Amino acid sequence: MPELTYREAVRDGLAQAMREDDRVFIMGEDIAEMGGSMGVTQGLLDEFGAERVRNTPISEMAIVGAGIGAAMAGMRPVVEIMYEDFLTLSLEQIVNQAAKHRYMSGGQVTVPLTIRTQGGAGWSPGAQHAQQLEAWLVHIPGLKVAYPSTPEDVRGLLWTSIHDDNPVVLFEHRLLYPVKGEVPEQLEPIPFGKARIVREGTDVTVIAIGPLVHRALDAAKQAEEEGISVEIVDPRTLQPLDEETLVASVKKTNRAVVAHEAVTRMGFGAEVTAILQHQAFDYLDAPIERVGAKFAPLAFAPVMEQYVVPHAGDVLAAIKRTVGK
Amino acid sequence: MASEVKLPRLGQGMESGVVTKWLKNEGDAVAKGEPLYEIDTDKVTQEVESDFAGVLLKIALPEGEAPVGQTIAFIGEPGEEVSVEAPAAPEPEKVSDTVVSDTPVAAPPAPPTTSNGRIKASPLARRLARERGIDIATLQGTGPDGRIVAKDVEGAQAKPAAPAAAPVPTGDIESVPLTNIRKTIARRLTAAWQAPVFQLTVTADMTRANELVARARELNPDVRITVTDLLAKVCAQALMRHRNVNVQYSEDALLRFPTANVGIAVAAPQGLVVPVLRSVERLSLAEVAAARGDIVGRARDSKLTTQDLEDGTFTISNLGMFGIEQFVAVLNPPQAAILAVGATVDTPVARNGTVEIRPVMTLTLTVDHRAVDGAEGADFLRTVKQFVEDPALAL
Repeated sequence: MPELTYREAVRDGLAQAMREDDRVFIMGEDIAEMGGSMGVTQGLLDEFGAERVRNTPISEMAIVGAGIGAAMAGMRPVVEIMYEDFLTLSLEQIVNQAAKHRYMSGGQVTVPLTIRTQGGAGWSPGAQHAQQLEAWLVHIPGLKVAYPSTPEDVRGLLWTSIHDDNPVVLFEHRLLYPVKGEVPEQLEPIPFGKARIVREGTDVTVIAIGPLVHRALDAAKQAEEEGISVEIVDPRTLQPLDEETLVASVKKTNRAVVAHEAVTRMGFGAEVTAILQHQAFDYLDAPIERVGAKFAPLAFAPVMEQYVVPHAGDVLAAIKRTVGK
Repeated sequence: MASEVKLPRLGQGMESGVVTKWLKNEGDAVAKGEPLYEIDTDKVTQEVESDFAGVLLKIALPEGEAPVGQTIAFIGEPGEEVSVEAPAAPEPEKVSDTVVSDTPVAAPPAPPTTSNGRIKASPLARRLARERGIDIATLQGTGPDGRIVAKDVEGAQAKPAAPAAAPVPTGDIESVPLTNIRKTIARRLTAAWQAPVFQLTVTADMTRANELVARARELNPDVRITVTDLLAKVCAQALMRHRNVNVQYSEDALLRFPTANVGIAVAAPQGLVVPVLRSVERLSLAEVAAARGDIVGRARDSKLTTQDLEDGTFTISNLGMFGIEQFVAVLNPPQAAILAVGATVDTPVARNGTVEIRPVMTLTLTVDHRAVDGAEGADFLRTVKQFVEDPALAL
């Protein structure tokens, strides 16, 4: 199987979708000649031309709004919000328009729009360029939310997003772009609502998303040396959520850790914890642990940024608390 | 609930430590992260910070050595009682010159209860304990804060007194409050169980009885005549010939009735009831059927009056319609006897040196020995059998 970086996998997914279907086009700030601020769309202008690879003004409201209009008119646009921090500027369009039109029109109108965005700490971009805001969007009925952690997953989920008739917000992570991974020769669409067992284990289940999948893998290796067998499950899509797989894993291991880079409080992990305690109550042998960022703005100073965000060591400590070691 | 301060492992290979000094007194407020006590390990002496905020309720180890993980103090709410007695720390120097210690070195483990008596246990541990019939209060928790976890239950044996660890069907047990009628049934049948009873069984050839019922139905198309009606009628006739069975038993006297009031056990929706047919010996078969149809119908509709249930002298309980061939009915006090009627079954019967197939019914009489003796009961049942087999004799 070929190996791609996460960045290349996104690019490959976009290019394949655009080759296959003329209705697919991309829009965003500096995505054409510059190839996007993270270099994801490099080369696409040359292949598909300015008509389908469109630079936009610096207006997230306009980017998403134009995407919604194009989607309602029959196109399958993929728009890029350069930093997910800037999603805040487009929330009116995402929350009140994209998520609502299908419902309010009684199904007469669909919005097959994909909103790609990225964020994440670890390179000291400061308080306004590295947040993790996925919890804001999983709270909105009418939206689907994906957060792939590997090249294979991001390519397959991006394909599914583009071909879904509903608006999808797909989160990428800044630190994952250079991560390499094998991908199938032929692009394989990955269904929404299907979690992936990243690693099998028997003592504790770590439910992790995005970069925390990788940090959980590091923690699991260390835990193994201490005789703790860790299972890792990546939901891959947060909405819809594969509750069945998560609950089945926790019923097997009797312990759970939920991990994401976003602030712990009111985070996605809170919802997962609620689901687990309700559906696996009689199987829990320890309180469910949550791992996430401290409740603080991300610091610019690298050492302070690192203090705020969760690391493999935090996951390991949570794992140990669940097994009482 | 109080948190246990446990001797920490401060480095690889540390197995025990010596508490040298407490920086707080019992009753002092402690903030999380505040230096709490000093500890000597084989490598260093250092201050240890509190992991908990609250009041230092009790210092279990004022000074001395303890293994890693031993509880050395409790921190909790002001005024909170600490219910767990920590084992006293062994002090090697003193043990050598004192044979008897006034503090038990290893107190028996107590369940990890909180101040309000609630036992700390994980949901899984509670479920396992429930399924295996283990009293969770008897277990010692090894999880964080002394919580009982699944491992602790798995290591425990079910108490011998507890029911064997039979698999329990999943799902909740539904609690159905006792209705008044159910309470009455329970009270009366429990009383009945105290009566010294004996049982007598006969079989009856139902050939003629069936013919009679069929003929009576033809003649009385307006009422539905059943075998039960015939039984009520012939029992009433038999009771008139055996007055000593047609009685109610009381502490002081046997109440001998001038007439046969025959109760019919009815499975009404709300429970068993036994409405009474009065003076059955005076009724024709069709009249018995009509009266029986009336009271059974009202029993099923919950429209019986107390009068309908009074003054019975005998009861018939028929489970033949369920295919039950033979059973023993429980006495219906203060009556002295009850007849259990089984299904009529085609049975090979020896007749005049040959085997014939005959419809046979099994009748079992339960008799209160305080009121009726064995021979008397047997004589009565023989009469019933005769009348059933040849109803004309009942005239």
